Amino acid sequence: MAAEAKTKTAVVAGGTKKAGAFNRFDNPWLNWKFLAGVSILGIIFFLIFLGNTFWDTSLALNASAPLNLPPYGMEYQKGKNTILVGVPEHPLGTENSGRDMLALLIVGTPRTLGVGAIAASVGMLVGIFLGFLAGFLGGWIDDMIRLATDITITIPSLLVLIVIQSVLGSVDLVTMALLISMFAWATPTRYIRAQVLSMRESGYVQMARLSGVPVRDIMFKEIMPNLLPYLAASYIGNMTGAIISAVGLEVLGFGPQRIPSLGVAIFFSIEAAALLRHMWWWWGIPTVILAIVFIALLLINLGLDEIANPRLRKAN
Amino acid sequence: MSEQNNSGSDRIVLNVDNLRIHYATPQGDVIAVSDISFKLYEGETLGLVGESGCGKSTTAYGILQLVQPPGYIVHGSIEVEGTEVLDLTEEELRKFRWTGLSLIPQGAMNSLNPTMRVKNQIIDVIESHEGKANYEPFKDRLIAFLRKIRRPSRKEPLRKYLGEWQRNLTLLLRYEPLKERIFDLFQQVGLPNRIYNMYPHELSGGMKQRVCIAMGVALHPTVVIADEATSALDVVVQRIVAQTLVEVKDEIGVSLIVIGHDMGLLAQIVDRIAVMYAGKMVEIAPVENVYANPLHPYTQLLIDSIPSIKERKPLKITEGITHDPRNPPSGCIFRLRCPFAWEHCALEEPPQIIVEEKHEVACHLFDEQFEERRSNAFAAIANS
Amino acid sequence: MGSLSLNYIVRRLLVFFLTLWVAATLIFIIPRLAPGDPITAMVARMSQQAGFVENADLIIEGWKERFGLNDPVYVQYLRYMGNLLRFDLGLAMARFPSPVSQLVSRALPWTIGLVGIATLIFFTVGNLFGALLAWTKTPKLVKVLIPMSMIFTSIPPLLAGLLLVYIFGFLLDIFPQAYAYHHSFREPEFTLKFIGSVLHHGFLPAMAIVLVTFGYWALGMRGMMVTIEGEDYMILAQAKGLKPFYVLYRYMIRNAILPQMTALAVSIGTLVGGSVLVEVIFNYNGMGTLIFTAIREQDFNLIQGTSFILIVTSALAVLIIDLSYPLIDPRISLEGK
Repeated sequence: MAAEAKTKTAVVAGGTKKAGAFNRFDNPWLNWKFLAGVSILGIIFFLIFLGNTFWDTSLALNASAPLNLPPYGMEYQKGKNTILVGVPEHPLGTENSGRDMLALLIVGTPRTLGVGAIAASVGMLVGIFLGFLAGFLGGWIDDMIRLATDITITIPSLLVLIVIQSVLGSVDLVTMALLISMFAWATPTRYIRAQVLSMRESGYVQMARLSGVPVRDIMFKEIMPNLLPYLAASYIGNMTGAIISAVGLEVLGFGPQRIPSLGVAIFFSIEAAALLRHMWWWWGIPTVILAIVFIALLLINLGLDEIANPRLRKAN
Repeated sequence: MSEQNNSGSDRIVLNVDNLRIHYATPQGDVIAVSDISFKLYEGETLGLVGESGCGKSTTAYGILQLVQPPGYIVHGSIEVEGTEVLDLTEEELRKFRWTGLSLIPQGAMNSLNPTMRVKNQIIDVIESHEGKANYEPFKDRLIAFLRKIRRPSRKEPLRKYLGEWQRNLTLLLRYEPLKERIFDLFQQVGLPNRIYNMYPHELSGGMKQRVCIAMGVALHPTVVIADEATSALDVVVQRIVAQTLVEVKDEIGVSLIVIGHDMGLLAQIVDRIAVMYAGKMVEIAPVENVYANPLHPYTQLLIDSIPSIKERKPLKITEGITHDPRNPPSGCIFRLRCPFAWEHCALEEPPQIIVEEKHEVACHLFDEQFEERRSNAFAAIANS
Repeated sequence: MGSLSLNYIVRRLLVFFLTLWVAATLIFIIPRLAPGDPITAMVARMSQQAGFVENADLIIEGWKERFGLNDPVYVQYLRYMGNLLRFDLGLAMARFPSPVSQLVSRALPWTIGLVGIATLIFFTVGNLFGALLAWTKTPKLVKVLIPMSMIFTSIPPLLAGLLLVYIFGFLLDIFPQAYAYHHSFREPEFTLKFIGSVLHHGFLPAMAIVLVTFGYWALGMRGMMVTIEGEDYMILAQAKGLKPFYVLYRYMIRNAILPQMTALAVSIGTLVGGSVLVEVIFNYNGMGTLIFTAIREQDFNLIQGTSFILIVTSALAVLIIDLSYPLIDPRISLEGK
């Protein structure tokens, strides 16, 4: 940005000013968005690790803290004084059925992230496979895959998941992740297909084809490395989508109920009218943690976008 | 075919003085255009030639104030009819553009906005410089329309009567005051009227290029710069479009700078040729001088490289610019490839030596003190 | 304006009808893939809750007979498809004997209104902000403020809804916390007061969708604008000395908006999913709340019907966007694909 503006003025004024710093020639992986996103996730994982080491995670189970209404800590008082301090035994308070909120976060956050990671990985693997297949083979295979992606993308996946889960009832997180991944392949497939198509037409891949390099080698030695930043961005985007689906299903009450994840905590709080009772820490803390996770994922995604697309870097 | 009215006038319409353009890179600036100076006379067609990367397009974009970052103008002066272009404010520059200097772009294929009809792309340039003042107010048109309403006479066929209604309605609702003017432009560049309402993707490459020419001359600018305007077209279309360009230019009497690398094509349409090498202008001369009697060693190489069907000859130009454009060699820029180079060439940069009217060359050989060396060198060439 | 090419229309229609067929078939198959049958499962859950259900076997048999579950699968499938074509979605068991189609037709307009208006807002605001982010003439201050306004981007609408309803509904008490209109209106009416009430109630749910979504569009638009700034016709536009604002909307936004339209069609599915959850948070009278009620009352018929109609609506929205696309992109009619 700075460089561009400076040169622009220099040109307009016919001045002799030299352009400023060249941020876009620097190492693309060192852009602040990517680093910030990775750091936030890193801090979250570190805190989870600390929590697992120093805090009693069994407090996340039902009725492990004393059941009392109104619950401990983080109480909201209307009037002049708002006291936001928990008791030492439960620094973030407890919820209705006696779960300790801190323990709930320590246990729930990695579970929520895990659902996203599993669903995104499965979806991504299928997406890479189908995307390469469609982009590279073309013809009727491409047509069929495109049709399937178009249909899958059009159908709101949450609704089908609701139908499935209302038959299955509440399931464990891995099953939920696998169910979500049934819809998580379409966007990567579409994306990778488009990238493969454009790369297939590019000069160096054409050269490789002409010189008789086997298709498999072209795919994995020529195209794959260049696709890496795209794949990474796509994976992060997919993970965001999967977590959104998972949290959505959990909030609708389809999550595993015994060991809660963040979405299930929100479900319980809505069930118990926590909003009405101003028990903001019950739903608020999981919400804020989730929001931070999503912001971190978005930052990573934007950073990867800039790595994959140098023009965006220039525009900064 | 083409009139080479070399006589022209002696009025200078464009004066480029000491123009220098750099491209900034992290390893230091690349010198794209290095202190070049030339003049363009009224009604003249100047050809700008050189190999790829010699800075001819950058020169053109520099004159137009369109150097894209990381490029920037280091210093210089560009005067169009006494106006210093580099001193204009942004808004002044905007108004000056296209009325003073217009561009016929290199990639006509992608130079038209894909989502705008051809007519609107010409109309927008006219309207942004001349304003919408020539629109008749709707009220007046409505009055005129109401006046024209009449009963059908008995003998008259219904179809004729309805046709009149349709025409009047069109005049009322889709009043296009610039239509005639655009049709005139189309006719000048040999375009059919039917493309008026078309989108760029519906035109052939040659047609798009003609649209660009029509657009370029729409406001009768002082100087038109055609940047490799024909190189994307096939050879036959190239000639026809180039011919159109010259005809239009003569018709409306603008001055023209044609950038290209096809020496044969340029020879037919330009009055003078400026030869560039590595950001330097090495020779600028009337076109017949350049072909009959090229002076600068580089121009000689360039002329020799034009293939001939009369004889087969080995290609003399062997490679592109050899030095690192960030650190040009001392003295003469061409000395590393020059067959006549001697010690003096490394010591001093050759000045632009005026050998005759409108003919300048930047080579030490044409300095009077080295006259002997020149005759020896050229004699050796003639003998070989 | 190029006419729509037949090939393009046929392909879009094919995708549309295939989508409906796939969705309908999925909804038919899913309960039959589960262990046991839905009726038995439902009665089992009922007995879990109530402790014991008298004459459970009789109930199961009765319902199986009533829903034709004893017929061969293909007969069931054909009958199911036939019913769907007649918009007969069966009876809602929870609110026996209201037909599902009646409940749905009461809820659907609210959802379409909410999502439609929210979409209009975030698409407009997002693209405008994105264009301003990329434009070289945008004031510095605006370029700083816009990214700051985008911090909520990528948070699910559901969570934004929670935060908004708590802050503005409970703490500040400026906006209502639930429902689509004030409870003093028994039925929707066409008065200014009613419309005002609807807007007042709809503001927070719509904001929950807009706040977290427009940033995506701004970022996408910015990317497109940056790409377009490098096009040849932008250099010519600059050389032509056109007014900067004219170049912005006629050359840049006009061309950058095309891929954004395609992206909008792709995002409809996610959007509808998100709005279902927002409705649950705000207890809005739309399809989302209907589904939520159905889930809690374990009314499988209602879940199926509501989901199917929402899928049809999404597919229809995508179809409309796809078919209107050639109207804004003059090139598409020639390409066919």
